[in-house]
Amino acid sequence: MNSFLRKNTVLLITLADITALFIAAAQGMEKKDFVITLLRGLAVGSITFLVASGFSLIFGLLDVLNLAHGTLFMIGAYIGWTVFVRPDTFVDLLTPLALILSGFALRDVYPLLATRIRLGLSMKRILPWALILVSILIFSYILPRYPISFWDIGTYGQSPVTYSFLADQGTRLPAQVALFTEISAPLALIGLLFASIIGAFGISLFNIETQQQFKLNWKNFIGFAILLIVALFVFIFNESLTTALTGLGSNWLFLIAVVVATLSGAGLGALIESTLIRPLYIRPIYQLMLTLGMSAIGIEIVRAIWGRPEFVMPKPAFFNGSSEVCPAANFADWWAHNCSTILLLDGRVRVYNEIFIPIIGVVVLISIWMLLQRTRLGMVIRAGVQDREMVEALGINVRRVFTMVFSLGVGLAALGGILAAPSMGLSNAMGESLFLNALIALAIGGLTNYPGAALGSVLVGLIQQFIIKYGQIGIAIPFTDIIFKPTPPIVPASTVLLMVIILLILPNGLLGKKE
Amino acid sequence: MTQQPNSRMSAFFLTNRAALFTLLALILLPFIVGLMDGESPMLVFANQSGNSKFAQGLAIEIFILALYALSFDLIFGITGMLSFGHSMFFGVGAYLTGISLKTLGLSLPATLGLVFIAAIVQAVLFGLVLPRVKGITFALVTLGLGSVFHIVVMSSEMGPYTGADVGLQGVIAPAFISPANERLRFYFIALTILILVYLLYKRFVDSPTGRVCIAIRENEGRARMLGYNTFYFKLAALTLSSLTAALAGFMHAIYQPIVSPNVASMGFTVTALLIILIGGVGTLNGALIGAVVYRLLDFGLRRYIGESASFISGTVYVLFVLFIPFGIVGTWKTKSFQVKQGWDRLRKLFG
Amino acid sequence: MEYILDVQNIHSFIGQYHILQGVNVRVPKGSITALLGRNGAGKTTTLKSILGLTPPREGKVIYEGKEVQGMRSFDIASMGIGFVPEHRAIFRDLTVEENLKIAERSKGEYIRKKEFIFDLFPDLKRLITLPGTSLSGGQQQMLAIARALVADNHLLLIDEPSEGLAPVIIEHMMKAIQLLSKDSTIVLVEQNFLVASQLAEYYVIIEEGRSVQEGSMKDLANDKAAIHRYLGAA
Repeated sequence: MNSFLRKNTVLLITLADITALFIAAAQGMEKKDFVITLLRGLAVGSITFLVASGFSLIFGLLDVLNLAHGTLFMIGAYIGWTVFVRPDTFVDLLTPLALILSGFALRDVYPLLATRIRLGLSMKRILPWALILVSILIFSYILPRYPISFWDIGTYGQSPVTYSFLADQGTRLPAQVALFTEISAPLALIGLLFASIIGAFGISLFNIETQQQFKLNWKNFIGFAILLIVALFVFIFNESLTTALTGLGSNWLFLIAVVVATLSGAGLGALIESTLIRPLYIRPIYQLMLTLGMSAIGIEIVRAIWGRPEFVMPKPAFFNGSSEVCPAANFADWWAHNCSTILLLDGRVRVYNEIFIPIIGVVVLISIWMLLQRTRLGMVIRAGVQDREMVEALGINVRRVFTMVFSLGVGLAALGGILAAPSMGLSNAMGESLFLNALIALAIGGLTNYPGAALGSVLVGLIQQFIIKYGQIGIAIPFTDIIFKPTPPIVPASTVLLMVIILLILPNGLLGKKE
Repeated sequence: MTQQPNSRMSAFFLTNRAALFTLLALILLPFIVGLMDGESPMLVFANQSGNSKFAQGLAIEIFILALYALSFDLIFGITGMLSFGHSMFFGVGAYLTGISLKTLGLSLPATLGLVFIAAIVQAVLFGLVLPRVKGITFALVTLGLGSVFHIVVMSSEMGPYTGADVGLQGVIAPAFISPANERLRFYFIALTILILVYLLYKRFVDSPTGRVCIAIRENEGRARMLGYNTFYFKLAALTLSSLTAALAGFMHAIYQPIVSPNVASMGFTVTALLIILIGGVGTLNGALIGAVVYRLLDFGLRRYIGESASFISGTVYVLFVLFIPFGIVGTWKTKSFQVKQGWDRLRKLFG
Repeated sequence: MEYILDVQNIHSFIGQYHILQGVNVRVPKGSITALLGRNGAGKTTTLKSILGLTPPREGKVIYEGKEVQGMRSFDIASMGIGFVPEHRAIFRDLTVEENLKIAERSKGEYIRKKEFIFDLFPDLKRLITLPGTSLSGGQQQMLAIARALVADNHLLLIDEPSEGLAPVIIEHMMKAIQLLSKDSTIVLVEQNFLVASQLAEYYVIIEEGRSVQEGSMKDLANDKAAIHRYLGAA
């Protein structure tokens, strides 16, 4: 105990200072204001944590500063919104997506195929490019003609803004049925499958290592078959699926949206790591340029598909009730009526924003902690953060773990995105500001330290919310009559300053270990 | 006896022929563009507005950008310190120039002196954090310092001086280098400054001090073990870099009708990073080439594609990373041998 | 003689530095072979090149009759090579038990090997729940060796086991290594000539990235000139 005190003196003093500041902050505030601000801070902290923890896992194990993390957070929100507000679009997209992926499911088959084909050296160089080109050509012929019910960002009545607004009012535009008019259905399906297989074959030709042994893996075929079945099933029962989804009610739809957004984030992460980041482990600086480029591309893609205007995402009915008994007086009352707000110490607290999100934050915190501490994967990650080479020397495929961690990290960011969407709304800039928050949180807590990420995120959230609150009510400066009101720019500045101060005292952050 | 200096001269011309050609081309650029447009050189001298004047303007922007990128290459590419607050160096130069000329009413030399003093002060400020933080933490602390500066510039309290989020307007440049009426003069002054700074940088990198800076980038622990106090070398690099960036900011404030707060933002640091990544990290001339590519790409895309230009530029950056792995200059250095072999083979093919 | 490992004329680079410029090492099955040489001669790099951690650009590495150069490190290691690196590389954030468990290549290996490992290093048994950081140098070395024993390894690459340890502990370590050589082949990098000469049957001397001399340890002990020339020891 004594040695613990001695080793962590600076940390303890810093924490004590921060606690003292919060206690001081509480003095000048009404109790209900204090509670609400506290909860808001925790909510912002939770969302920040979802982004920060993924970023820190990736940075710790892969040494990649993924500057596109904020953009991926935003993409998660937009994907979730699509599933929630436009289930018909989502169902239409499933078939082509499954077909495009199906070729890649057979990844272990191609090297075997490649060893069978004897080709000249120049042919060997051209072949992958030729295959990929053919595949891209087929895709670019079929995909624009493939019917998908969509919104139109050009006309206001069909834009995401309108759809969101109507959904928020409780009405949904009738689902449009997209029909195959420009291309015949069998041709489109077979074409997509064919292009996918050719493209995957071409890509696999790039990274064949000479000495590797190839074994046919039956899991490949099972995955392929599942994807095909999903594609066909969704294709055949498209309409009934759409009606079923639309009729599900907003609670279930929201749950599906969360799952889909998280999974697509994870898939996107795996794709990015295995194709773009992997060649760059030997050139670390250029990863920065790559992720910056990806970030710019991501924002533009979002602008192209969903448009520039901001829009809201309706809350699921579970958190959005508004009968005359609302705001609910206590949790039992809330459970009965699903009020959107609840009275806590006479203050109105929004259930989704200020209670649900922090709870999810805690759940994720604990589950990732369990994953890290209790599973073999977690053990490998913790070991790999310290010494990748040694882990590899033990016969562990670190690269596969890299892909998993990257995908986990991006999945967490996407989860954060969809969870934040109902409270923050969706905008092209939502990623950037949150990413800066997450960076600051990590710097405060310790860059590769998991509990540090949580602590830093909560601190950042709390400080921002408290300063915003004081901007409204003002701080009475002692012994004078002056009331100081922090202006909005001070909100980001305060956390940044806190970060600089903490880093100067503790260069590795509050919980980071010394090198 | 008279032969020797002569041959030395010719050797100098031979080894630097690419640089000298570029220099010549840059000197002639305003007139060539003018001639292509049917303007006589006299008209160009008279600063007639036209394509030549426009090209000069674009070139001046590139020179300023190149100067700024050079200063970033010195601390990141040469000394190995990743600073995310570099735009502050530029921003301080630009804003101080504007405030000094507009609000304080100082003369141009006095302003320049003030800018240089401020540059040294802020280099020392950055230097203060050096001994405590390294690597990625240094990047974050500088990011913090830079964003505080950005926030201060943007804040409404500073509005009367900095113009807050609108930007600093109404800085009137002295008549003899007015970018509107004396642009050709401005062009040559900017070109001269860029060349001088570039030569100074080259000299610095080849000097013992510069060598130690490179050693610090490779392995700071070893450099320290060899008995160098790495702190002073890093501080020297930072100071030189800060002076250069502030000079670039100074020119920017005089040249541009408005100093946008964007030049103090994180995004502008990223610009410097992209430029030297495009050109080649730690190569110095990569910063120059990168600035040209970056500005022209940006200009072209914005002009011909419009709103979604950053989609294309983002794609270009990703492709750059994947296919031009060490920037233009770096990749050229590693591939030049192969290219030469290819040429030789071609030459043999055609006898 | 049957060789479990045959390194033929490998060249390896670290960054742009040409570290190994032609190293040949043959390791007879069941033996202890010592790599000797001065600091920076390339002994550690040789071990890393065998494992593919510093992949050789030229030459062959033949392990159990199969060419392994160019294969991925974890594939090479999975063929049954255990590695005990210089400075031990104990995972700080893992407990002692986790440090052992992580080396499993199939489920339950640790449980099966537990008895054997704790017989060899009784000290480790009572440290099992402690984090890797809290171990002393000698304990870390034991753990590093124990970690290489969890999986079924036929070849152990041990780098500088005696470095920075007290004489008593070195003795203990030597006994352990001798015991291990009954079941597996060992390649040992050792600065301490006394330790190496007592343990190893064969030696290879590496000098400035090249293997310059090899033979049986008994002969080397009498070859004072070579010892003086290459190892700088009396």
